[in-house]
Amino acid sequence: MDNDKLAQECGCPEFTASRRTFLRGVAGAFGAGAVTSVIGDVHRQVAFGATVENPNVLVVVSLRGGADGLSLVVPHGDPHYAAARPRIAIPTAQLLGSDAMFGLHPGFAPLLPMWINGSFGAVHAVGLPQPNRSHFAAMEALEDADPGSSERRGWINRMVGLIPGEEPQQATELGSPMVPGSLYGVSPALSLTKLSSMQLSGTQEADFQRRHRIAYDMLWGNKTGALARGARNAVATTESLSDLATTPINPQNGASYPSGDLGQALAETATLIRANVGTRVVTLDCGSWDMHSGLGTLQWGGMQSNVDELSNALAAFFTDLGGSASQVTVVSITEFGRRVTENGHFGLDHGWASAVLLLGAGVRGGQVHGNWPGLAESALVDGDLAVTRDYRSVLTEVVRSRFPELNSSQVFPGFVPETIGAMTLG
Amino acid sequence: MPAARPVPSAADRHLLKRFSYGITPALTDEVYRLGGADQWFSRQLNHKDISDGYANGLRDWFPALDKTPQQLWHTDQTGGQQGFEVTADYERWTMLRRAYSKRQVQETMVEFWANLLHIPCPEAKSWPHRVRYDTTLRQHALGRFDDMVVACVLHPAMLLYLDNAVSQASNINENLGREVLELHTVGVAGDYTEDEVQDSARILTGYRVDAWETWTPYYAEEDHFRGQVSVLGFSDPNPSYNGRDLTKRYLRYLATHPVTARRIARRLCVRFISDDPSPAVVDAVTAAFVQSGTDIKQTLRALVAHPEFAASAGDKTRTPTQDAIATYRALGLEVMPPSKKEDFAYSLLHQVNSMGQQPFGWVRPDGFPDVADAWTSISRMLGSWRAHWGLAGGYWPKSGVRHRTMGEWLPALPARFDEVVDHISRLVLAKPASKTHQRAVTAFTTIQPFERIRTSSDLPEYKLVQLLSVLLDSPAHMTR
Repeated sequence: MDNDKLAQECGCPEFTASRRTFLRGVAGAFGAGAVTSVIGDVHRQVAFGATVENPNVLVVVSLRGGADGLSLVVPHGDPHYAAARPRIAIPTAQLLGSDAMFGLHPGFAPLLPMWINGSFGAVHAVGLPQPNRSHFAAMEALEDADPGSSERRGWINRMVGLIPGEEPQQATELGSPMVPGSLYGVSPALSLTKLSSMQLSGTQEADFQRRHRIAYDMLWGNKTGALARGARNAVATTESLSDLATTPINPQNGASYPSGDLGQALAETATLIRANVGTRVVTLDCGSWDMHSGLGTLQWGGMQSNVDELSNALAAFFTDLGGSASQVTVVSITEFGRRVTENGHFGLDHGWASAVLLLGAGVRGGQVHGNWPGLAESALVDGDLAVTRDYRSVLTEVVRSRFPELNSSQVFPGFVPETIGAMTLG
Repeated sequence: MPAARPVPSAADRHLLKRFSYGITPALTDEVYRLGGADQWFSRQLNHKDISDGYANGLRDWFPALDKTPQQLWHTDQTGGQQGFEVTADYERWTMLRRAYSKRQVQETMVEFWANLLHIPCPEAKSWPHRVRYDTTLRQHALGRFDDMVVACVLHPAMLLYLDNAVSQASNINENLGREVLELHTVGVAGDYTEDEVQDSARILTGYRVDAWETWTPYYAEEDHFRGQVSVLGFSDPNPSYNGRDLTKRYLRYLATHPVTARRIARRLCVRFISDDPSPAVVDAVTAAFVQSGTDIKQTLRALVAHPEFAASAGDKTRTPTQDAIATYRALGLEVMPPSKKEDFAYSLLHQVNSMGQQPFGWVRPDGFPDVADAWTSISRMLGSWRAHWGLAGGYWPKSGVRHRTMGEWLPALPARFDEVVDHISRLVLAKPASKTHQRAVTAFTTIQPFERIRTSSDLPEYKLVQLLSVLLDSPAHMTR
């Protein structure tokens, strides 16, 4: 049975249309010419023949659970800091890259060279515009970033929606098959445990794969809903990114990632960026930061181990990227910070403001940006560090700096950003 | 041509798919015997009347499940089975129990409530008590919600997980006090204040566990906060060091709060009807929940009786764990007691993890999402399809499992190929093969519908795997 006959028999107009949209997207984004076959694996050779060279990439690292900004970027110059934390405060002498007010957690040692050369910086007292101490509501608000709207669409989804092309890999989540809130929405996005999982079962022999795809087209082509969309995106992606699925993850330049999910996901991210397949935003999760107890000290506890993993993994990532690092910016986000005063269990309950870490291209680093409200009792909000910079202001600067072709007010609708100065603007 | 294997009616199939982990030929036969799925459902609600010897025996495959917390801790500390391995055994047992229990509605509800009153696995603080927590959930899964909230919130596993075990009047830890409101009862719609969160945590002080030592739960009167507390209309002078009665009254108050009723009703509707149930059906289920005094059976009866339930067939996406278990059932896999780590009963966990979900693997206390948007990523789809392929072909996991033989798959021969497909569809999907299935099977296998299958050698095994994968990778199997 030949291709055309099968395509006819499939009789699924919506699928054909969406496949064409997909292909048009590929062609549009990459300037690749005609796509000769609707079914089969011919077009993948075409699709990446003429890619946009080295586009800028944003990597968003989610510190889920509410990371304590005061332990990451320590306000040692504020006398209330040590007083509020008799057991878990980090001694001033141990901090790295200190100025009169702030210093970095010692676990950031692997990233200290980037701090010194100005490609690693931070913004303090950042968060949601209103306190929200519920993990889940705060995370949703953070990732949706459009408080006026009831539409379920994340900010990264809106952002890639402004970029020409419809390839799901424009916005990619690595490390988990779950779609995070920031990627929810009408623009296709990729959620992957790892790149090598992007293959259909069975032999990779061409005729077998072709027949397999035809069967999927018949099963899912004319169905509606999220499941059918997922199925169609899956089939299309195994075609368009099949080369990537067989690319080995070989860290370059002697990079050595720490074991664990974050190191793995960043190693995959570096491979994805090098593959130059049109990925513009990558989002990953880093550990669990909900340290009601056992946040600990420099000798033990959740904070020191998390900071170690985070900074070793990021340092390896930038080593791995080598020259490609000039394309890549990393930003950390967390749903809230933690209370200023330690609790009885070497931990901290939910708070409000935290700190944002910025690394890589376009960052005005080596310093702590923002508007420090102080830790005096009168400056706190219900015992928490006050937010003086909306996190969307930080992200707006990142978008304007690295994606100047995009209208950032469409990424964060109705939001009027404050100027922070954490990123260089072209 | 011999009569085709009977399958349930469309309405019966819908009820069975929503309230079991997948329809097997044995389940179809049972439903016929009982006179229909409604009768089956009623019988399932009285789960204690259903003997479940085989599934009960599965527990013997994992000896850690019957050890005390002290024994488990001692073993962990002396270099034996580690905590995360204990909960891995619990996850394996959970998967197998869901697959093989005759009490399918109870299993379904245990999953539902465990996700509401979620404690992740593995989890560092709670693990020695985690299996016992499951026992408590099981006791209440078809009982009353208010009893369940009291038993689960005050269970040592929950006290440990959400830090109440270390909370003291002098040193309040608000973690459990907050999540009781936000996750276990009223939810954010409860609109409580931060002061109320504090009072919630104060009420709970006193319930402690001797963590890292004996793991014995105890009530420490000296740690109970005394003084006026007030949460969402619950108010008490709280003058006594003994806050046990106060705490139970408080939890029952929350469990029976109207905002809780609506939240639980909506979650049930999302689980059993659709991702976006109408306010009307949520109202109806809420009313049943309230009028019955949080009786779970009566609430479920109201849900199933609502016309929106009947109209929702095929609208729910199976999560990866549900998909995996439904696949074991569809393929008629017989899992054997494990003897080595590659065996099915152990390695099933790696497989389901590769599909994107491990039982209780959600690391946050809010439980897995239950809507299609969360479970339809490219990675999930490909992961499920890969698992279907591996299970259908017996490629992975390979050992410790018995598959249907070719003879058991095939109808009486000779038969046309489309008759073979139809027969196998009845076994796998509990429905006749659709035209789409027939066409897709032919496209993949290149065997034409009219071809005669005279002996089993006319259908090579690899073609059977292709046929099965078309059925398993299709909407009919990936929805429930």
